[in-house]
Amino acid sequence: MSRHLLHTLALAGLVAAVSTTESLAHCFVGARFLPSTLAIDDPCVADEMSMPTVGWSKTGDIPSATQWDVSAEISKRITENFGVSVGQGWTSLRQADGTLTQGFENFETSFQYQIAKDREHELAILAGLVVDWGRTGSTGSGLASDYSLVTPTFYVGKGFGDLPDSFSWFRAFAVTGQVGYQIPTSSFDFTQNVFIPQQLVYGASLQYSMPYLKSQIVDLGLPDFFNHLIPLIEVSLTTPVANNFGNPYTTTGTVNPGVIWVGSGFQVGLEAMIPINRESGSGVGVLGQLHLYLDDMFPSTYGQPLFGGTGTTAPRKMTF
Amino acid sequence: MRILALATTTLLTLLASTAVHAHAFLDHAEPRVGSTVPAAPREVALFFNEKLEPAFSSVEVSDASGARVDLGKTRVETTTMRIGLKHLSPGTYRVRWHVLSVDTHTTEGSFTFQVGP
Repeated sequence: MSRHLLHTLALAGLVAAVSTTESLAHCFVGARFLPSTLAIDDPCVADEMSMPTVGWSKTGDIPSATQWDVSAEISKRITENFGVSVGQGWTSLRQADGTLTQGFENFETSFQYQIAKDREHELAILAGLVVDWGRTGSTGSGLASDYSLVTPTFYVGKGFGDLPDSFSWFRAFAVTGQVGYQIPTSSFDFTQNVFIPQQLVYGASLQYSMPYLKSQIVDLGLPDFFNHLIPLIEVSLTTPVANNFGNPYTTTGTVNPGVIWVGSGFQVGLEAMIPINRESGSGVGVLGQLHLYLDDMFPSTYGQPLFGGTGTTAPRKMTF
Repeated sequence: MRILALATTTLLTLLASTAVHAHAFLDHAEPRVGSTVPAAPREVALFFNEKLEPAFSSVEVSDASGARVDLGKTRVETTTMRIGLKHLSPGTYRVRWHVLSVDTHTTEGSFTFQVGP
């Protein structure tokens, strides 16, 4: 058998595996790329890492405290459609009187399954289970609880590129969203003498993709820097819905306008965090993130699912 | 916080200096994406930011009724993909492409251009 035929067959097998399983590790759906958003999760399983995510804000306490949050998260596909993420956060709280509290939050894991990806309609649907493990952080400082939180979560993303051409520039828009129901493993906190509510944890993003505009709709000849930008606005909210006796059912959260710059192998995001009410914070905070596309950086190793991946890269030079 | 800033800066510097073979994005095209050209082009050329696998990268061009107006044979050279065109009369044409970059990631897309006054 000739080298030509061997190479072709090998690559054909590789591509068949890729095409039948939609092997697009970070969040591609057809022609749409949905970046990793900072406040909520994107609707795809992926091989990626956010490190670090840094937030600065003023708490809703009176008087308010200054809060720094630093976190890291790494995600790995186990199979083509099933992935696991692990994350850890660290928080520093400085009260108005100068009292400083620092420590780790509880360890977080996410188990996610890609339910659907519709290339033509730029639609991605994901189901997940997020678990914050009790007693894995600094419980002594009060920054971590001694009970766990279990949150079944549903994620969705949709690009508008399937609209008729007459919608023109509007087709560069996309939306993502998530809704989860957070269930604590304890119903009462005996240290603070309060009920621990079950909560709805939800959010959404509206994004405008300049890369999509340039490559799919109209190339305006802008400087390259602008063609990598995805301006967006995120909303991240929490509402107590059950077991909240004696406490107000107040929704808290932030609205985050910002921008993500998408590069080759990584993205950088920066957002303002605007509290939706006094209980959510005082003044505008800042959220920044460096996010690495590990599937691009290590395509033949980490960028492959543990089971069912292609396990190799295509030959760099084909000899036909 | 200084340590964090230093670590982030170091990571960014490393990223910038490391050749990452990523998904192939369309950098630009001739005719330009969404443009109107006064004269019928003889070919469509697509320029990507990554090297392509010729055997598994293709492009096709169709008119407003969906009929193919390309000459059928895609030519790929490193990061560029070209296809010849039949004579185009004034109208709107859609270019659909699908590529495999050398690190096995697939990407796809489509855009239109117009021929006419």
